[in-house]
Amino acid sequence: MIYYLRRQVFFARALNITLLQFNGRGEVMLLGIDVGGTFTDAVLVDSGAVYAQAKRPTTHGEVLRGILDALDAVLDGADVTQIERVVISSTIVTNALTEGKTQPVFLAVMTGPGMNVKGCFPVEPYLVSGYVDHRGKIAARTEFNKHYGLLDRQSGVTVAAVSGKFAVRNPENEYVLAHELKKSGYKKVFLGSELSGELNFIRRTNSAYFAAAVDKTFEAFGKQVEWALKERSITAPVQILKADGGTLPLEAALKQPVEAVFTGPAASVLGIEALGAPQGKSISLDVGGTTTDIAFWDNGEPLLAKKGAMIGRYPTAVRSFHMRSVGIGGDSAITKLPQGFKVGPERAGRAAALGGTAPTLADALIVLRLADFGDREASVNAIGTLCHDGETTEAAAQAILDAALDVIENAIKEMLHEWSIQPVYTVSDVISGSDFGPQQLVGVGGGAPGLIHALGKRMGLPVIIPPGGMVANAIGAALARPTVAASLRADTTEGYYLIPESGKRERLPKRFNMQAAEEILSAWLHDKAGGWQMEGNETEVISREYFRTVHGYYDTGEIIYLRMQLKPGILYKITGREVAF
Amino acid sequence: MKQANLGLIFFPAFDWMISPGHPERQERLLYTRDQLTEEGLFDRPEIREYRLRMAEVNDLQRPHVGVPSIAKLITPAHLASAGGCLTAADAVMSGEVKRAFALVRPPGHHAMRIVHGIRGFCTINIEAVMVEYLRSRYGIKKIAVVDTDVHHGDGSQDVFYHDPNVLYISFHQDGRTLYPGTGFPNEAGSPAAWGYNLNLPLLPGSGDKEIHRLFDGLIKPVLDDFEPELIINSAGQDNHFSDPLASMSVTAHGYAALADKLKADIAVLEGGYSIEAALPYVNTGIILAMAEMDYSKVIEPDIRALRTPDPRCMTRVEQLIDQVGTIWRSRHEVGKMLLDKCGNKWQRKKGIYYDEEGIREEQLETAHYCTKCSGWMSIDTNARGTRYGDQSAYVVCLHRDTCADCQKAAYDDALRAKQSCAYKYILLQHPDTGVVETI
Repeated sequence: MIYYLRRQVFFARALNITLLQFNGRGEVMLLGIDVGGTFTDAVLVDSGAVYAQAKRPTTHGEVLRGILDALDAVLDGADVTQIERVVISSTIVTNALTEGKTQPVFLAVMTGPGMNVKGCFPVEPYLVSGYVDHRGKIAARTEFNKHYGLLDRQSGVTVAAVSGKFAVRNPENEYVLAHELKKSGYKKVFLGSELSGELNFIRRTNSAYFAAAVDKTFEAFGKQVEWALKERSITAPVQILKADGGTLPLEAALKQPVEAVFTGPAASVLGIEALGAPQGKSISLDVGGTTTDIAFWDNGEPLLAKKGAMIGRYPTAVRSFHMRSVGIGGDSAITKLPQGFKVGPERAGRAAALGGTAPTLADALIVLRLADFGDREASVNAIGTLCHDGETTEAAAQAILDAALDVIENAIKEMLHEWSIQPVYTVSDVISGSDFGPQQLVGVGGGAPGLIHALGKRMGLPVIIPPGGMVANAIGAALARPTVAASLRADTTEGYYLIPESGKRERLPKRFNMQAAEEILSAWLHDKAGGWQMEGNETEVISREYFRTVHGYYDTGEIIYLRMQLKPGILYKITGREVAF
Repeated sequence: MKQANLGLIFFPAFDWMISPGHPERQERLLYTRDQLTEEGLFDRPEIREYRLRMAEVNDLQRPHVGVPSIAKLITPAHLASAGGCLTAADAVMSGEVKRAFALVRPPGHHAMRIVHGIRGFCTINIEAVMVEYLRSRYGIKKIAVVDTDVHHGDGSQDVFYHDPNVLYISFHQDGRTLYPGTGFPNEAGSPAAWGYNLNLPLLPGSGDKEIHRLFDGLIKPVLDDFEPELIINSAGQDNHFSDPLASMSVTAHGYAALADKLKADIAVLEGGYSIEAALPYVNTGIILAMAEMDYSKVIEPDIRALRTPDPRCMTRVEQLIDQVGTIWRSRHEVGKMLLDKCGNKWQRKKGIYYDEEGIREEQLETAHYCTKCSGWMSIDTNARGTRYGDQSAYVVCLHRDTCADCQKAAYDDALRAKQSCAYKYILLQHPDTGVVETI
């Protein structure tokens, strides 16, 4: 018998330790902050509705100042003692990585035999002896006498990252090496096996490296935020949004700061979920000023990417949504071509209708009466300057809209194709197929209504535009659930099970089976959440595998692999409202 | 899209087995999956992983005739693993990848043209399905199949025995010491294809040095001489020193270095049942080599268990280089002589045992020659103890270029067989379309 089921939700025992009891009606006040490329948004959610919202320019270089501006605007007149939780989705980690503002890291890896890892990591690693095989057996221990002196700390390097091949099957070598590094003076050592319990040595190593590289920046940011909140008499716990749409308490996030990368799209997805999760198979489009974020939904849940996120050209174990950003937004610049037009990816600034100097996609929408704001006359004039010989202004606007829709539709088609060609490893999965047949489009964001209605017409799909999409990202952050994922692997011939994320290795209980494994892992997840003062009463299985092992012609045992998480998503849905800024 | 060095079709069929406890069971590629995933190979820009597509029954019927029918003998897993090979072929032919590896199961090189059931873990010869697909879809003519499985690929030999455009080379542990007991140099092809079936039986214990000497001294020069449009590798991995079903001494590095030298356009997994100690490392090595990456660091943890081969192993290699080299070099003269001797008809009798199901089959195969075309074939088959009881069939196989006169002769022959009432089934195979007619 073999199980290879995915995403089977089951309800575990309700958690005893309950600090925040969210009962689905939303009786506590929540503060959400989203730092985007252009704007920093803040929302205060109270009793299931947006109580206050604010939009301030993002202050590049000093992200905190923009956060405080938005924070002060939203807190104006509110009773801050009622705030139960603050969630921040910020670009701090993404910026540190893209701008190279990272600290030097000592990276030590135990590769054992296999692929040559040269060029696989952002820095050349120090190769340490010792390795573990695929069954979790220590094939060789680290011979520290061979590395005498080399593990000594280089001046100015205070953090280290350690990663071993198959350390998720047995982390002992990693622990020993981390211990040695701490002895030689490293303040903090990040372990690959603690950042992800899943197989993929290269991705875990990169996660550990990036975690160490942004540690200092992230820690400083966390301290500043805490200080600033304290100044405003907010004592509620601070949580950080992760790329997979879950939150982590600040102190836990400090152990895995790399998870806080690329949270903008995640916040957007959660915002859409909060404003009414699309049912059936849906595609959401968050139309901003410069970009449109596209995500897939299945029965109210956003789909996660099958592989971790890329940071630069390095694959990591950071989980994220199956999303794509295309360079089409309301402020997209329009380039006149000999025939037709090109829209985006550059931003032209505000629409001519709002006093801008160059025509934008929004102006084309206004001309076509698919959007209605500002001075329509100005839009008509601006688009008029782009007409080809004998082309009416309306025809030009339509051609511009079509060019923008081409880009978005192509991106959707590519995403659908990518989803359908993902390799599968069982006969039943090949037969059942994994085509994603979208049933509707959901549009949010300032430029959404006109553009997405036109897209829906073209693709023959109904369109839903939930209200309140203007600050969807901050709403998503405010309402995000805390999440944590972990794996359990048991090889019954060994007599032990291992939860690599914690290093917990315990003797197997009597009558161990898949159900027992689920109970153990579920309890561990709840325990972890309790320790972090997080609420959460639902765990779900992400994937599971069951194999009988045979030696010669005899059954020798079973291999059980299980991966579960505290279900991500939002705490409850809210009703959005439209406010002019 | 930039061309990747290697297209990888990985299909471990985690829900398919022959029977519980059988070497062909669900977790055969589990540890390989773990190793490949842990190494991060699926993320490499040199490698593109593909989702396989299912083959159609007609794809399987280009090289095969099933009794009572292919559809009644297979499981969906066979359509998947054969489909994996077709996916590999498409990836290479479209230019998306330089070469491809169908790391799929179930395997196939013991499956012969006529299929009554499972033999040597195989029902469908997935390489043969791919070869015929390459011909029908892409018009490829000359193909070399190099079989590096420890067992003689008697199924592949059977399917390609009359075809001078498929050069089949197999090295394997001597048939006197291992299943299926065939694969000697004198089985060099039918008169029309003499010298295009090269068997290289090695002594038990042969290792890296022996197979590399054999490759450099014989296989490589023969391939260069044949000038195939495509090279296919039946990449069995049971020559490994840890394999429980065989007794050879090849290492993962030895296999990887061979893959590097062979530079096959498409490799297809065959056997290999040391699922923990060999497959994870051999597959990593082959993938790295085919993707033109460094495989020098692929070393098994238990490499100390490796024994030095007996000097007689190398002596056998030298003998084979000499003996089989002569067969190759004299193939035109000998082939002509054999053809002259047999006239317009050549026959062979075969007793075939299906170890998996205990089926005993008796075949009389007749090649009908023609001066204008490749002629046609007829096969008289009787099988005892199949899952559908005792079977008898008369099968007529056309070739792709069979001329109108021969086609008429073949149909007439099939009708005569029908009128004789001596057979349960009269079947006629069209290799180009995979249509099998019931007469």
